[in-house]
Amino acid sequence: MAILVDKNSKIMVQGITGRAGSFHTKRMIEYGTNIVGGTTPGKGGQVVEGRPVFDTVIECVEKTGADISAIFLPAAFVKEAAIAAIRAGLKTVVVIPEHIPIHDMLLVRKEAMAHGCTVIGGNTAGIITPGEANLGIMPDIAFTPGRVGTVSRSGSITYYIANTLTDSGFGETTCVGLGGDPILGSTFDEILAKFEADEKTKAVVLTGEIGGVYEERACEQISNMSTPVIAMIGGIFAPPGKRMGHAGAIVEGKMGTAKEKLDALAGAGAHPAKTFLEIPKILKKLGV
Amino acid sequence: MRLYEFEGKELFNKFKIPIPNGRLASSPSEVEKIATEWNKPLVLKSQVLTGGRGKAGGVKVVENPYDARTTAEELFELKIKGYPVEKLLVEPKLKIQKELYVGVTIDRVNYKVVVIASSEGGVDIEEVATNSPEKIYRKSYDIDEEFFRFDAVEVAKQIGLQSQHVKDAALIIMGLVRLFKAYDAKMVEINPLVLTAADALIAADSRISLDDDALFRHPELAEMGIEKRHEEGEMTPREQQANEWGIPYLDLNGNIGMFPGGAGFGIMGNDFIEYYGGKPANFMDSGGGPSPERLAKMLVLLDDNPNVKAIFGARFGGISRCDDFATGVIMFLKEHGLSKPMVTRMTGNVWQEGVRLFEEAKKENPELFEHFEFHGIETPIEEIAKRAVELASEQEGGK
Repeated sequence: MAILVDKNSKIMVQGITGRAGSFHTKRMIEYGTNIVGGTTPGKGGQVVEGRPVFDTVIECVEKTGADISAIFLPAAFVKEAAIAAIRAGLKTVVVIPEHIPIHDMLLVRKEAMAHGCTVIGGNTAGIITPGEANLGIMPDIAFTPGRVGTVSRSGSITYYIANTLTDSGFGETTCVGLGGDPILGSTFDEILAKFEADEKTKAVVLTGEIGGVYEERACEQISNMSTPVIAMIGGIFAPPGKRMGHAGAIVEGKMGTAKEKLDALAGAGAHPAKTFLEIPKILKKLGV
Repeated sequence: MRLYEFEGKELFNKFKIPIPNGRLASSPSEVEKIATEWNKPLVLKSQVLTGGRGKAGGVKVVENPYDARTTAEELFELKIKGYPVEKLLVEPKLKIQKELYVGVTIDRVNYKVVVIASSEGGVDIEEVATNSPEKIYRKSYDIDEEFFRFDAVEVAKQIGLQSQHVKDAALIIMGLVRLFKAYDAKMVEINPLVLTAADALIAADSRISLDDDALFRHPELAEMGIEKRHEEGEMTPREQQANEWGIPYLDLNGNIGMFPGGAGFGIMGNDFIEYYGGKPANFMDSGGGPSPERLAKMLVLLDDNPNVKAIFGARFGGISRCDDFATGVIMFLKEHGLSKPMVTRMTGNVWQEGVRLFEEAKKENPELFEHFEFHGIETPIEEIAKRAVELASEQEGGK
């Protein structure tokens, strides 16, 4: 078991004929990821890395049975691409590019909710279930199959955490990059709920950072979980980050600083870690 | 991206939100000229990209042209939170009956757009929200949902407006909602929305923040002279240099130069240094897949900084490659030279290749590597952070 993606997932790539799309399609296939095809409007009928290219997501789904999509397109095209994928009935859509306009992501999120689809990103390094599927741009060197799940805003932090879990023998079930954009398709609590339902995942490492509101949203979920959660927040010593301004601050209340986030998560029952090396120590103590 | 008050008001005008009849001035003599022409009490408002200018003395009422000139001279000398005052917005002084607040922003927790209004305007709205939350009214809607006139009327009623004022305020709120959508705003705010002694509602101030990532679909803004800008106050010379090179960089007050990879570990790496008793001299983000040239420039920023006593480097090759990383560092060593100790670790995508490049270059030019220690996947990143702290304190101790 794993969450979101495994060896049986049928993955399609939106923007498969592009430079990033074709490059990463090759890498993903080399890892053993089950890539079934892709789309680029106007390039239907072509073949990339032995996989068929279609003009539309619907065609790709009909012909290949794709159930997950990875988007490798410029930010300006993400709204269209993501909504096309959501409406075609895909279960999961992973938005790799960064700087997606905020209003676009609000709409994508609404569509995803209405269709029961999980959108991950933008600005995510992707999702990897070690040994089964590597969906996105993560280097596979850090990962090995195991029993701890990870969820993080940042790609580089995901690599460091996985590296630590791999070296200490715990390994990973699935590692999810939520993404670094200000408005994300999925939030920590939603991914934690999936880990909680996964039998193989014995603990979860959550890594957040200063700014934004998503870490706080995780608290209620953590307090209801039987799977232990280890939390790390970057920016404890950072000078105050950018705020969205007065009106934004009203809505978001006092949320945002790293210290407040870590305190809130610990208050909800998460085990705080300061450095990567502390994580295996905590896992051992928890008997994971 | 934050707009100046006068730019925001231009946009208000496009959406039929009433604004004072103001004029922009860039010198005391221009201000004097306007004051002579208008011959009535005026407000001189410093145009800066920050809040709290009133408290900082950046807004002044003047009664006559002489007063206008001398006050303008003072204002043009002013720096507000590091922002020099380069333009003044000159407006007739309003006769105020009541000050209200109206804003539209994004509720990121619930993925909604939210209209916020209050009967208490002209003050820090965050304070109102904290001290008298009952005086804040919110109405949320989906980004693709129509915000109707009756919604706007409801907002106006909720902040205590009556009769004709309800109708006028509803039109202003509708305009604000349309502006928010049309220009991909993160926030639009009228604070205060003034009810004048003559019973007219008028936007006395504007605060607008647009989404940088959506500017590509608003070329008309550039035509209005509104272009992408740096939002921070005055930058240090190094921050300016980094900005020109397109490198996200902030000066901090420590002595360890941080060369950490992406933004995620950029933030976390600084924490590690602090945990081991050191102080970072900067925050830096290499961006995804930086070129060797960019990496070399990042190191130049650190090596040229006299506050930096040691450099901490880290690369976890994901989208980027460790051989590119090594090439960039070697380029820097050869072209610029390293004048202070540096410790770095590489792992991820083709890290062995990176180590090989370093070893080769070291064989050729051992003198370049005199201050440079490099590690691969075998050394935990925490050890590298500890070592950087050690190197920095050795340097400080040696002085």
